[in-house]
Amino acid sequence: MDDVSRSAPTRSLAPRFSMETVRQAFPLVLLAGLCLAFASASDRFLTVNNAMIVLQQSAVLLVAAVAMTFVIVNGSIDLSVGSTVALSALVAAALSAELGMWAILPAIGVGLLCGLFNGLLFAYGRIPSFIVTLGTLVIFRGLVLFYTRGAPVSIRDMEFLSTFAGRSFGVPHTVIIALTATVIAAVIFNQTVFGREVRAVGGGEKVALLSGIRVQRVKLMVFVVSGALCGLAGLLQASRTMAATAQLAEGLELDVIAAVVVGGTPLTGGVGRIRGTVLGVLIIAILSNGMNMTGVDPHLQKILKGVVLIAAVFLTIDRSKISVIK
Amino acid sequence: MLVAENIHKRYGAHIALRDVSASFAPGEVVALVGENGAGKSTLLKVLAAVHSRDGGRATLDGQPYAPANQREAEARGVALVFQELNVNRAVSIAENIMLGRLRSFRRGGLIHWRRLNEAAQAVLDRIGAEFSVRDAIDRLDLGQIKTIEVARALAADPRFVFFDESTAFLGRAEAARLMRVIGELRAQDIGVVFVSHHLNEVFEIADRLVVLKDGALVGAYPTPEVTEEQLHRLMVGRDLADGLFPQRVSAVPGPVAARVQDLRTRSGLGPVTLSLHAGEVVGIGGLKGSGGEALIGALAGAEPILSGEMEIAGEKHRPALPQAAWDRGVALLPGDRTGEGALVDFSVRENVTLATRPRRWGVFDDRATGRRQASEQVASLGVRTTGIEAPVGALSGGNMQKVVLGKCLAAAPRILLLNNPTRGVDVGAKSEIYRVIRRLAEGGTAVLMVTEDLPELLGLSDRIVVTRAGRISRGFGRDAWPSEEEVVRWMM
Repeated sequence: MDDVSRSAPTRSLAPRFSMETVRQAFPLVLLAGLCLAFASASDRFLTVNNAMIVLQQSAVLLVAAVAMTFVIVNGSIDLSVGSTVALSALVAAALSAELGMWAILPAIGVGLLCGLFNGLLFAYGRIPSFIVTLGTLVIFRGLVLFYTRGAPVSIRDMEFLSTFAGRSFGVPHTVIIALTATVIAAVIFNQTVFGREVRAVGGGEKVALLSGIRVQRVKLMVFVVSGALCGLAGLLQASRTMAATAQLAEGLELDVIAAVVVGGTPLTGGVGRIRGTVLGVLIIAILSNGMNMTGVDPHLQKILKGVVLIAAVFLTIDRSKISVIK
Repeated sequence: MLVAENIHKRYGAHIALRDVSASFAPGEVVALVGENGAGKSTLLKVLAAVHSRDGGRATLDGQPYAPANQREAEARGVALVFQELNVNRAVSIAENIMLGRLRSFRRGGLIHWRRLNEAAQAVLDRIGAEFSVRDAIDRLDLGQIKTIEVARALAADPRFVFFDESTAFLGRAEAARLMRVIGELRAQDIGVVFVSHHLNEVFEIADRLVVLKDGALVGAYPTPEVTEEQLHRLMVGRDLADGLFPQRVSAVPGPVAARVQDLRTRSGLGPVTLSLHAGEVVGIGGLKGSGGEALIGALAGAEPILSGEMEIAGEKHRPALPQAAWDRGVALLPGDRTGEGALVDFSVRENVTLATRPRRWGVFDDRATGRRQASEQVASLGVRTTGIEAPVGALSGGNMQKVVLGKCLAAAPRILLLNNPTRGVDVGAKSEIYRVIRRLAEGGTAVLMVTEDLPELLGLSDRIVVTRAGRISRGFGRDAWPSEEEVVRWMM
């Protein structure tokens, strides 16, 4: 608490602000670079039609990644997002014939319950979120398999499909829904006291607790919000594929975490932005789309995606703030 | 003889040391003193090669001394004990002591445990440690843990040992133990240089004082030739003759703000009965773990209660969470500034409003009110910062502590609980914090303060309560104000 704690940050004060600018601008620069590269390699890339395809492909990822941003900034992790999405998609598909477009309510409700289950075990059962959600990753997927016995549940209800899979003025409804959810989530994250509490708990749990924040309740609420968003993502996924399958959204959690991290949110908690996550999602989606467009070998694509993930973190992480890298 | 000449050190635009020259002799204890940010730790770290220097020369026994890193400095006989505790409780005492030189205890590819334990024990014996390498590491107190770090430094067989604020986190008895160890090193002709904010330690053990101010050398003085007041003046550059502690004005305490009846807590407090009046500062003295922290923890909702009653303004008070206490007007300033008090990566504004969290329309973050609260606290506490959006981690210890105090004050508390409010804070900021606490009490707030700093306990309190082994051993009022010795007698 002496000279060091004072001088250490002062040391990097002048350079940090410029480095900070570089760091914050990086996802945007990467995105622009990718667009430029793909546009010069293929003239089909930079078209309205392709833009819509990219947006539509990234809608599910976007909603789930926004949910994950809350969890990660809170200092936790949720590995069960893919399974929650699959379970919600199944509920949406199974109830679409009876409820039509109102199948959205049970879909979100099931996601919310999944989040509540995770959150209760994590916040009040005091089990690390990594472990809880590793368990529920398997449990929720198991529920899907148990119910479907591996067979797909297809959606035939026209009201459901036209509401969620239709287009207005050329824009897919999935994109509109995903963007609306993102904007609302960003307002919650940036403008509410709850958003502040989420960041404070991630930034220092003990400090938050002793300052009068109900830490366990905030942790529970984060998982409930995240679960509800994953429920919505499940509905979007089901309407896009017009069916729920047992393998739906398998491994989604990895893409989601990658998108959040590439967007500049560190896994250490306390800091992060929804805007960054939106960029991260676009980077991942455009990388896939562009590589398909330009005919990159599908096997090579996986390697390149991994390289981009590591390179992005390598270039953006603020090592002066993190003394121990785990 | 270790001689440093014209040492220069820059951190970006900030000059941490300018043209500092000093010399250190074996068998001599030198105290580096100065306010926060004066450059004391930086000088130690530059000489121990934890940080590189930007200019100047150094010689060790006439030979050029320019180690490239800490390991080289140790090889030349200069070792540093850090301020923070760096002991790994998952491995044995012997391993902690020999950390970094475990390779020299190899037999084949494995560790020769017997030889390792013997060597580590030899180092412990050398400084008269009253525990053995075979003891369980979890059972050691912080002073003994610190002793392990001293032993680690000694394992390199150094001729100079530097201590960077080693007593900042220690209780009284633990700090006294460390002072004994330093005396032991001097007797073995090892040169000791230490940084401390506790001037009583400085006067007790140092042979010579080196005073720094704003990164520059003020001078070096043999201890007997300086008084405490002179030292304050040298450190601060202004006169604190009007007193470190503000004058008490009214002697008439207000109505009872809080009452504690037969309280027992999980960490071994109690039974304790105490009442706290509006407008008074009650100081709790006692050894670490003797109950003071547990008592304010219970009032703050941070310590589980086993039995007994608490009342605030006549109503039952049994907070399950700190949040419930804050809602009743009870604010807590915790003992660990960076781990419990402030979010270091967050701005001054976010920290000051962390407890109030002003709202608009029920759910939205009211930034305008938050900015106003932060500006008010920054102004009234005199926080030296570039602005309310600056990260708290960039502030000095004293200013960071003022931000944490500002967080408490922004909530306009009826009861303010303080845990070592000026720990690791320089003299200038200390007197400012004391003035704020006094002003607050005059405004009718009841203040309950736990402190290990005896001058603070005696100088700031209106009433003193001494704890021993979880119970109140003695109370002192204004009419029978005790001496330091008397207070200590009731602690032991």
